[in-house]
Amino acid sequence: MLEIKGLKKTIGGSEILKGVDLAIGKGDVMAVLGPSGGGKTTLLRCLNYLEKADAGEMTFLGQRMDMPGMSRRDIAAYRRHTAFVFQSYNLFSNKTALQNVTEGLIVARKMEKAQAEERALAALERVGLADKRDSYPNQLSGGQQQRVAIARAVAGEPDVIFLDEPTSALDPELIGGVLEVIRQLAEDGMTMIIVTHEVNFARHVSTKVLFMDEGRALAMAPTGEFFQEQKLERIQTFFRSLDRKEG
Amino acid sequence: MSGRVIDILISSFPRILGQGLMVTIPLTVISFALALVIAVVCAMVQIANIRGLKQLVRFYIWIIRGTPLLVQLYLVYFGLPDLGLMVPAFPSAVIVFALNEGAYCAETVRAAIEAVPKGQMEAGYCVGMSYVQIMRRIVLPQAFRTAFPPLSNSLISMVKDTSLAANITVTEMFMATQRVVGRTYEALALYSEVAVIYLLFCTVITKLQAVGERKLNAMNGGNVIRA
Repeated sequence: MLEIKGLKKTIGGSEILKGVDLAIGKGDVMAVLGPSGGGKTTLLRCLNYLEKADAGEMTFLGQRMDMPGMSRRDIAAYRRHTAFVFQSYNLFSNKTALQNVTEGLIVARKMEKAQAEERALAALERVGLADKRDSYPNQLSGGQQQRVAIARAVAGEPDVIFLDEPTSALDPELIGGVLEVIRQLAEDGMTMIIVTHEVNFARHVSTKVLFMDEGRALAMAPTGEFFQEQKLERIQTFFRSLDRKEG
Repeated sequence: MSGRVIDILISSFPRILGQGLMVTIPLTVISFALALVIAVVCAMVQIANIRGLKQLVRFYIWIIRGTPLLVQLYLVYFGLPDLGLMVPAFPSAVIVFALNEGAYCAETVRAAIEAVPKGQMEAGYCVGMSYVQIMRRIVLPQAFRTAFPPLSNSLISMVKDTSLAANITVTEMFMATQRVVGRTYEALALYSEVAVIYLLFCTVITKLQAVGERKLNAMNGGNVIRA
């Protein structure tokens, strides 16, 4: 459904992405793993054009696009099929939880207010926060804010959701609730690409793993295969270092 | 205080306050409203980085902030007639105060817009909104909350600065006082009286600012502390 070939990005003179290929099908959940500074977040931001790629070709729903050559209008049209969940939530701080979800529906998708609210409430219900519909972001915990952000993403009925370290900014006791919501989405067949440090979560929820290091995709494989038959020395070292930290 | 002074104070009070309500306040309100429009436009031009216009705005701010308000008043009221441009006193004052305050407020508004986290813009793009939509519905309302206290400051400043308009024959509150002093020679008492009236006006604005801040906070969920 989404395929990337030769994605390159240089920021401030250093090459962050050195030609990345990836492909996911409908219903796939791809976990992007790897050490910090490996280009995971930049990759995800390029996928939604928050950063403009220097080179690369994207095929999305059968349509081939030259990534650096996308016009503002092309990007806007593409974004109506996608959603993005940020590490720091980025809820609109002058809007309530419900308004955060309806905003894009009403303003960008020109939906009727009543219909948008109905859909938004259903989305909030899905993340277990319907009772917080009138709360402002600063009245919500980090975990609740991130769940509202996920509701905002889901409400647009996107073909794919990009999640950038959705639990990295959260207190440990709040992580579980957010991961549970994402797991539920995966079960419902939502296509997602998740940059994460939660290896266990990746192991149990994702269908595919992409391992990024130094701007390259070192490995892309179905999850079972990736974890069972890992032969690459670099990846084994990475997991050993994680074990040490957690051990 | 002699009975004569008290009589003068009492009889002059309605006249001075009257000029305050009929000239000082309208002059302030009209000029400040125009200044806000100028400020938002100038801030947006700079934020959106519109080439040519941005340089023009920087030039305008440079000139206004680098020259005295009094000189600007004289230039427009006494200077422009040399070019055949006669502007009556009150409109001259409005033009100068609006342009002057606009330049300062432009910087306030620009700083407030820049203080809105970049993630708000990105989140807007990701739900499919356009730059203009995000600015209008997300960024500017948040920036307004940040800009509100310094803008109130500017407004309070302007109430008092309008006394400079006396120099170009606008019969606002201060000039009304000067006239009474000219007749009665009670400078201390009368200038104290007008000072108290300015203080009164500014106290009202300060109270309004507090009410406004409470309203704006309520629209952002109780307080402005952001996680």
